[in-house]
Amino acid sequence: MGGFFSSIFSSLFGTREMRILILGLDGAGKTTILYRLQVGEVVTTIPTIGFNVETVTYKNLKFQVWDLGGQTSIRPYWRCYYSNTDAVIYVVDSCDRDRIGISKSELVAMLEEEELRKAILVVFANKQDMEQAMTPSEMANSLGLPALKDRKWQIFKTSATKGTGLDEAMEWVCFQKPSVHLCVSVAVYTHE
Amino acid sequence: MFAKLKKKIAEETAVSQKPGGATRIPRSVSKESVASMGADSGDDFASDGSSSREDLSSQLLRRNEQIRKLEARLSDYAEQVRNLQKIKEKLEIALEKHQDSSMRKFQEQNETFQANRAKMAEGLALALARKDQEWSEKVDHLEKEKRFLTAQLQEMKNQSLNLFQRRDEMDELEGFQQQELSKVKHMLLKKEESLGKMEQELEARIRELSHTQEELMTSNQMSSDLRQKLEELQRHYSALEEQRDHVTASKTGAENKITALEQKEQELQAFIQQLSIDLQKLTAETEEKEKLITHLQEKVASLEKRLEQNLSGEEHVQELLREKTVAEQNLEDTRQQLLAARSSQAKATDTLETRVKELEQNLRASEEKLRQSNAVVTAQEAQIQALAAADKESDRAQQQALALQQQCTARVHTLEAQLAALERARAADQTAAAHEVRELEQENTALKESKNECEHSLQLHQLELKKLKEEWNQREIVSVAMAQALEEVRKQREEFQEQAANLTAIVEEKEQSLQGKNEVILQKEQEILQLKKGHDTALLQTQQLRSELEALRSLRAVECQAAAVQEDLLRLPGQEQGLALSVSEPHGTSRAMQDPTYQLPDAEEIPNGEVGAMDLRQLQKEKQDLEQQLLEKNKTIKQMQQRMLELKKTLQKELKIRPDNELFEVREKPGPEMPNMAPSVTNNADLPDAREINFEYLKHVVLKFMSCRESEAFHLIKAVSVLLNFSQEEENMLKETLEYKMSWFGSKPAPKGSIRPSISNPRIPWS
Repeated sequence: MGGFFSSIFSSLFGTREMRILILGLDGAGKTTILYRLQVGEVVTTIPTIGFNVETVTYKNLKFQVWDLGGQTSIRPYWRCYYSNTDAVIYVVDSCDRDRIGISKSELVAMLEEEELRKAILVVFANKQDMEQAMTPSEMANSLGLPALKDRKWQIFKTSATKGTGLDEAMEWVCFQKPSVHLCVSVAVYTHE
Repeated sequence: MFAKLKKKIAEETAVSQKPGGATRIPRSVSKESVASMGADSGDDFASDGSSSREDLSSQLLRRNEQIRKLEARLSDYAEQVRNLQKIKEKLEIALEKHQDSSMRKFQEQNETFQANRAKMAEGLALALARKDQEWSEKVDHLEKEKRFLTAQLQEMKNQSLNLFQRRDEMDELEGFQQQELSKVKHMLLKKEESLGKMEQELEARIRELSHTQEELMTSNQMSSDLRQKLEELQRHYSALEEQRDHVTASKTGAENKITALEQKEQELQAFIQQLSIDLQKLTAETEEKEKLITHLQEKVASLEKRLEQNLSGEEHVQELLREKTVAEQNLEDTRQQLLAARSSQAKATDTLETRVKELEQNLRASEEKLRQSNAVVTAQEAQIQALAAADKESDRAQQQALALQQQCTARVHTLEAQLAALERARAADQTAAAHEVRELEQENTALKESKNECEHSLQLHQLELKKLKEEWNQREIVSVAMAQALEEVRKQREEFQEQAANLTAIVEEKEQSLQGKNEVILQKEQEILQLKKGHDTALLQTQQLRSELEALRSLRAVECQAAAVQEDLLRLPGQEQGLALSVSEPHGTSRAMQDPTYQLPDAEEIPNGEVGAMDLRQLQKEKQDLEQQLLEKNKTIKQMQQRMLELKKTLQKELKIRPDNELFEVREKPGPEMPNMAPSVTNNADLPDAREINFEYLKHVVLKFMSCRESEAFHLIKAVSVLLNFSQEEENMLKETLEYKMSWFGSKPAPKGSIRPSISNPRIPWS
């Protein structure tokens, strides 16, 4: 009950943070993107066994961003974090053509979850600074994004090391946020 | 087998893979039959896909069938070979004809060519020698010219550098001139400004002057008016003075009269005094007489009294009466005398009185006159005083006017002096300005002159420059032309050299070809002779060769069959290792096959020329095709081996991935038992690693759960409960405690009995 009240209060005072998950296969650049978004710098990362959670402020909006480790053995635990998620940033390595299939199957499995039904999907075609990088349209097709229904999604070509494309993506997420707020307020209303 | 695996993988990963080597096999085979065979084999693979490894026997049967088919195809080949033989004979005849004609043509061409060649060689040698000389001369000439031109070029460059320096100097001079000009202009502007100021001042002064002049005019007018007034007043004054003189004259007359009258009056007064003195004497006599009378009267009164008293004394009374009578008589006489004196005195006083009265009247009149004259005098004096006042006023006015005049004149003087000073100053300024202007103009003119000079020099320089440029251009043109000519010459030279080389090459070639031709001709002649000689023997040999050929063909057919069999054997699955050996065998056999075919031409060369070679070539081609097929088969085998390896890898990967897939399947059910399931499904080799990672993950999550904010920890409950295999109750309890912590009010959830023993004190690590 207390959490319910606090959520009402926080939604009343506008302090509710938007919850974003950063998912993707291992080595796609999720942690680099998280810290690029938070501190605007490229940090040296080690493979994430577990997760990183940071509060990212973009244009006076606060986001609670969860970067979950993408290794094969800990990928099953993603589903433990799905509840109350507003947006999913799905990071794909544009140069890793071999594992795009695995990436797709993981994405499809994730999107089938009921808890993520209302979450918007942002796909980052990362590592665009590399030479053999796939184009966003190519990637969208290989991930089967055009076939998605009842889902707000957008693909962005990004480079976490160069910092390109992240602002546009966050802009898009911010632009989508009012609807999220609306959903939240409606949900609170119906809950009452 | 592979297709099956592949299909399985395709089904599992839902990734569409490109069809493999099956399409590659038909592409490599040139002939349709082989292609169809390959296709058939591909189909066989596809159809065999359903069978297992143990169905090799049936496959072998199919191979036998294929071998049979191949044998039938071989018989077809034999027919084709026969057809080819017929064609070969036709071709032999045609070749003979062709040989004859070509021989004749060769001879003719050879003669003409030799003649031409000799001529060409001589002509070309001469021309070359001449051209060489000419060109060497020309080159020398051109080099000289070039040197000359380079020298000129350098001179020109120096000149141009001088010119540029001069230009720079000119530019500097122009810059200085412009600066000086601008300075002069600036000074001029300043001077003009000061001039304008001075003029303005002058105008102001002139205005003041005019104003003062107007004032002067007005003051002059005033002074003239005052003069007129003064004149009038002077006239008036003179009139008044005349009147005054007249009046003073009358006054003096009146005074004289007055003095005369006063003398008369004094005389009269003196007379009156005499008279009064006389009168006083008379009165005094009268008084004495009266006193005597009174005394006598008293003596008479005393004598009578004595008579009355002394009657007896008559003689005495009588004598006293006589004496009385005598005194009376005396008295009477004195009375009479007195009366006479009185009357005369009265008469004299009357006359005197009348005379006094007259004199008084006269005096009164004169006094009146005097009064009148005095009034006149006073009036005149007042008039005189007024006139004197007026005179004074006029004097004052005159003085004022004079002062004004003086002031005016002084002011006028001062103004004039100022004006003069200003004019002088102005003139001085003007002169100074003019002087400056003149100086500036002089400077300007000097500068202009210098500028003109500079311009002139510039123009001269430019002209020089132009001339030099023109010269330069001309030189350049000339040099360009020369360079072009040189290049052309070089080109020509090169061309000529090339031509010469070509010609020499051609000559050499021709000579070689000629020699070759000669040799060929000699050979041909020999051959012809031999042919003529051995025509009959050749026929025999051809027959022998045919028999040999047939023998070879049969051998060939057998080899082909063997090759086909080997090839078929190559495709058999499961024998990849053995195939490598068998692949090397065909090479050996093909080498062996090549040897007889290489030997064949030597045998056939003499009798038939190239007629047999055609057939042989075809055979060689076929053989090469077969070798190529063999090579391609080897390639396909290698590709198949690679695919096998890939499939093995994918299979291993699949085996590794499988536990996760299993997890996915398991996750559909409610999750507490999931982590237990995961290690049970995983491959034994991966088990410790996965455990390690999971433990690390658990450690990380729990650490974060304990350290992070409550709002974040709330999201971690599920992960923790999944990792630690919490029951639903335990998870709910965790959630409730966290909510309680986050909320401001609400009751602390009571820990349930079932949990208590299992977790000793759950709140300690998170508090």
